[in-house]
Amino acid sequence: MTEVAMEKPVDTLPGFDEAHFAAVLAQGESAVLTAKREEAFKDYVNIASPTRTDEEWRRTDPSLFPIADMKRLPNLPQVESLPESPWDAEFDVVIAVQADGFAIMHRNGTAAELGISVLSLAEAAEQKPELVNEYLQGRALPANSGKYEAFNDAFWNFGLFIHIPEKVEWEKGMLIRYQMDVNDSMLIPRMVVVAGPQSRAVIAEHLESPDTVRFMAVPQRELYVAEGANFKLVSLQEWGLNSYQITNDWGLVERDANLNWFTLNFGTARSKMKFGSDVAGPGSAADMDGLFFASGEQHMDQRTLQIHSSPDTYSRLLYKGAVKDTGRSVYQGLIIARPGAIRVDAYQTNNNLVLNEGARADSIPGLLIDADDLKCSHGSTLGNLDPEQLFYLRSRGMSEHDARQALIMGFFEEVVDRIPQKFIQDIVHKNIEEKMEK
Amino acid sequence: MSETKTYLEIRNLHASTEDTPILKGVDLTIAQGETHALMGPNGSGKSTLANVIMGHPAYEVTDGEILFRGQNLLELEPEERARLGVFLAFQYPVAIPGVSVAKFLKSAHDATHGDNKLKPAEFLKELRENIKYLEVDDSFINRYLNDGFSGGEKKRMEILQMLTLKPRFAVMDETDSGLDIDALQVVAKGVNKLAGADFGLLVITHYERILRYIHPDHLHVLIDGKIVHSGGSDLVKKLEEKGYDWVRQEFGEEVLVG
Repeated sequence: MTEVAMEKPVDTLPGFDEAHFAAVLAQGESAVLTAKREEAFKDYVNIASPTRTDEEWRRTDPSLFPIADMKRLPNLPQVESLPESPWDAEFDVVIAVQADGFAIMHRNGTAAELGISVLSLAEAAEQKPELVNEYLQGRALPANSGKYEAFNDAFWNFGLFIHIPEKVEWEKGMLIRYQMDVNDSMLIPRMVVVAGPQSRAVIAEHLESPDTVRFMAVPQRELYVAEGANFKLVSLQEWGLNSYQITNDWGLVERDANLNWFTLNFGTARSKMKFGSDVAGPGSAADMDGLFFASGEQHMDQRTLQIHSSPDTYSRLLYKGAVKDTGRSVYQGLIIARPGAIRVDAYQTNNNLVLNEGARADSIPGLLIDADDLKCSHGSTLGNLDPEQLFYLRSRGMSEHDARQALIMGFFEEVVDRIPQKFIQDIVHKNIEEKMEK
Repeated sequence: MSETKTYLEIRNLHASTEDTPILKGVDLTIAQGETHALMGPNGSGKSTLANVIMGHPAYEVTDGEILFRGQNLLELEPEERARLGVFLAFQYPVAIPGVSVAKFLKSAHDATHGDNKLKPAEFLKELRENIKYLEVDDSFINRYLNDGFSGGEKKRMEILQMLTLKPRFAVMDETDSGLDIDALQVVAKGVNKLAGADFGLLVITHYERILRYIHPDHLHVLIDGKIVHSGGSDLVKKLEEKGYDWVRQEFGEEVLVG
């Protein structure tokens, strides 16, 4: 038998072909980054575009995302500063990201004194290759990534590198706020965060765009939480109702380290989001808290992975969602215990409120266990408000409307209560209220 | 009856749930300032009566009326009844995770005291006084409503709500069930604080024990959806002495259950 070289057909997303990629490279950047993009582009063209026959995309048709209409924003230029926002005062560093540029604003000398690096990926590759190169070579992501991970790696137009050195405790942390307002544009952000050994830090993200702006984001976040570190990421997504999003986010948690990750999703017309954590070192823990509310005609699809690749690891996931009007949500969760991952505690809970007929929530919890001697549980609930609870509140004088609001707010409170920043709790409350009223 | 003012009047009340008739013609009149006790075996319709007075949507009233200070309660939503001053202490209060006791009580107080809302500081002061009076732990008010509460804590919570909302008429649906003597005394303390000319009370119970702490003016026995026996202090005394077993024997409850 002779071997026949089979050339794989080149598969590109509409508009994001070889010529487009050449134009991206022509914008110029350091050799390391260009090499990484080229490598990623090869993967990208070789990975088949997802279709509805893929289990992951069965409930969210990839053709719902109007990629062909979206024009990739040129690599965002860095500017000196951008206008302030009310929440900036809560943080030491604020990064403002807009369609025409981004600014990294140090509000005081804290980050510099602590030796914390907050740099664009381009800056990091030039100024701190000894720090960043390791994370450009390896990935927090699993080896067999999908189409959009490779797409982001090849086409990203805004890159961030955040490094918190060993033993540094960063009390106030930083805020990254996105305000996008250009029609038919595509933002492809790539963020790499390294929390050094025994460090402690919190990062908040706030993503916004006006409801009138048609726009798409394809973000990717890679979080490396080193030995003994304690890292929190709070991501509040309020993209406008005419926007689209596909995300792929991963956290790698080393020995005795702790990751607490909040994903709070209110925006977009359509979104497909993947959040994965790997408690990869013994004694490590991941807490994943999620909240989502799909109203109007919104469609939100979330997939979570809790990977346990080491023994004596812990992960807890709580995702709470509501659907209203003709809103639709999909939750798919998977706990994976790799061979040898013994004495593992893994919990996964997804609770859904279906607030009216016509709204729909799908919940698909799952386990994939290659080890024994572990404690694992997963569960999901689906349903409207409890009539006994409603009657109880009404019997105390609250109107049906107020009673419903109190119950919906209360439903989410278990997650909201854990959010470390009071002002984000307030925005979340406001979002829930607005969704209930509309 | 002619001397005292009628407060609550239930006339020929018929109610069913899922097409099963439960109440089959209840007549009951409570005058202003009076405390009435209602006893009866399981399944006789005691809790149904309590829920129908408050307007639980799972019950359908097929005949009769409930007048409270001249107004027909059956035409009103549960929250409208509450705003008139009707209160139900639930037999099994539900837990409401995510809603704190303090926040809930403030909302409920505001809702039932339309024109006489208290400022948050005043409200909190009063709440703390009531909490102390009922010997409830201070941390109570920051907890989620009934969430993870023991049976006894839930009952105390009901009484705390009653004291906070200061209703004109309250139904206590087996509030005494499952309580130890200490907790029972707390319940009695709460009731006695509200007792007076402007308060009417219907105590639904299974046990004669509570009658030693809350002294009803009248006692009724409900069996198979009808009040079969009513009496004044003589009957109350007899029950205190002879116990509830006497009712059992007298009215042959085992024949009638179900």
